[in-house]
Amino acid sequence: MSIVTSRTTGTTATPRTSAGRAIETVARGHRSIPVVITLAIIWAVFYSQSSAYLSFTNITNLTLQIATTAILALGVVFVLLVGEIDLSSAVLSGVCAAISAGLVVNSGLPLAIGILAGIVSGMAFTFIEALVIMFGVPSLIATLGGMVILQGLILVVLPEEFTVSIAGTSFAKIASTAIPVGTSYLLAAVATLAFTAYRFYQHRERVSTGSLTSMATVFVPAILLAGVLFGGVYVLTQRRGLPMPVLIVAVMLLIGWYVTTQTRYGTHLYAVGGDREAAQRAGIPVRRMVLYSFLILGACAAIAGMVEASRQLGVSATSGAGPLMLNAIAAAVVGGTSLFGGRGSVWSAVLGALVIGSISNGVQLLGLSTEVQYFATGSVLIIAVAVDVVLTRGSLLPGRRS
Amino acid sequence: MALLELTKISKNFGGLRALHEVDLTVHEGEVVALIGDNGAGKSTLVKIVSGVESPDTGEIRVRGEHARLVSPRAAAEAGIRTVFQDLSLCDNLDAVQNLFLGQEHHGSIWSGRRIRRHVMEERAQRVLESLSVKLRSLNTPVVALSGGQRQGIAICRALISDPAVVILDEPTAALGVSQRGEVLDLIHRLRDQGRGVIVISHDMKDVRQVADRVVALRLGAKVAEFRRDEYTMSDLVSAMTGAHEGVDR
Repeated sequence: MSIVTSRTTGTTATPRTSAGRAIETVARGHRSIPVVITLAIIWAVFYSQSSAYLSFTNITNLTLQIATTAILALGVVFVLLVGEIDLSSAVLSGVCAAISAGLVVNSGLPLAIGILAGIVSGMAFTFIEALVIMFGVPSLIATLGGMVILQGLILVVLPEEFTVSIAGTSFAKIASTAIPVGTSYLLAAVATLAFTAYRFYQHRERVSTGSLTSMATVFVPAILLAGVLFGGVYVLTQRRGLPMPVLIVAVMLLIGWYVTTQTRYGTHLYAVGGDREAAQRAGIPVRRMVLYSFLILGACAAIAGMVEASRQLGVSATSGAGPLMLNAIAAAVVGGTSLFGGRGSVWSAVLGALVIGSISNGVQLLGLSTEVQYFATGSVLIIAVAVDVVLTRGSLLPGRRS
Repeated sequence: MALLELTKISKNFGGLRALHEVDLTVHEGEVVALIGDNGAGKSTLVKIVSGVESPDTGEIRVRGEHARLVSPRAAAEAGIRTVFQDLSLCDNLDAVQNLFLGQEHHGSIWSGRRIRRHVMEERAQRVLESLSVKLRSLNTPVVALSGGQRQGIAICRALISDPAVVILDEPTAALGVSQRGEVLDLIHRLRDQGRGVIVISHDMKDVRQVADRVVALRLGAKVAEFRRDEYTMSDLVSAMTGAHEGVDR
């Protein structure tokens, strides 16, 4: 299925079989490869059944469908990276949306204040959860309890009729706004230029200290990014302008990429997930890093909740319930973020959400029964974790270390 | 001049006498091996010198100056770095990230404390070269490296702050034959850089190969001290086991 080339590593740990070498290559920072291949297979299968699957309209629908999952999964990635887990953020997204929409629609406050209040509430709740975890309660239990409490809390913050309808209000514009085609291309151009300039700056830095480098490290990623951005804008602006949720996801991803890969905070995030004791000995404030991850998750959950409410034109007692939580965790894991901490990237949130969203979208498009969707999504999740286990172990067979 | 001088160090844990009036001196460019059976007090002594534990009584001098090693940080600032047996490396991070973990070069708060990777890579290269630690790539997660290379990175990490004394806790315990040779070479290079090295080892062959001086502890007290080539294997063993007491010299 996948042909992954590998350079020999020259260490004594070099696996002898080609399968072993492929595993090692993928294990070393090329974890997106299996996901992208999986995605291509899913698309090919559904496209062979119905050509409408890869129409501009359906791809635009797909991106809107996965936006909420992707944003929530992004938050989950931060928590998984430090080696914790969260089960409460989906319901939290409903609570934050209820608070925010209530303030804007029922109390008539400006949209900006409502959004800010939503984000602050999300962070406040995960702050408390993080304190409980720092006290020593395992995150699985702390957030499971948190989830149940939140299910009660959403009934408290909703008005008596247990719904907030936001059709026709400023709140609905979050999801329905379309960025004009020209502006979208301009944004793509600015982002590409900024990224290229940043890579070039890094290239100059490395030249200045005599490190080995080449201009390929500037242009290869820049051309790749330009392809994704301009291609994306081209496809997604065919019907109307660029949907606002897509821009929100893109901006959050960009910030997440910078923070996790370019800053000291990012290094410490991976260190804490990789080996807590080693991180502690190196003077990294481990508990504070866990707290930061949960605060980021709280903000992501709030944003996800508001985007979803705006898309559904309302908040109800079931907002954030259903498969959202499992989809978000599954998305992060399918995308290549390890459940054991220390391995993964912000891209995994979007790639994984795309895989899961592509399956449910295709199943609905073909009019297949719901059980097919459950079977397929569940299988993909298990396969993804199996791949993670193989990559972590560095060998295809159990009980063997290469 | 002595880089590190311990005088009459004693430490009790409750009623248990862990160390009793132990003297230890490490000079510039000297490898001192610390040997002893389990419970002889080697670990306690290392913990005291690396700032993890404080002695009950006794004096510590670094380069002739009185030093209070109240924390690992204080010990590091006094110029003493310890490489513990488990190496304390983050497997998922690469060599550069591990070398500078917790002491990264970074930009201002306005850049989000952006990592200045090029500076770190250049310094990493120099430190690794100074001990001839050879890595195919600085960007490989250390989990993919050999035991010898990992030990090399852990030692280089101690060298980032240019310490006077480096303490190595069982550096060859988990290694195969060729990698053991690699690590013993590393120890020789540390010595040639003019640093003082304390090596704790169970392996008498290793001790024989690297140590300029051997200090034997038994039941919390120093029972023997040998200069290079002035002892036989059985001298070491009998000092450790107490077969004949009091060969102090």
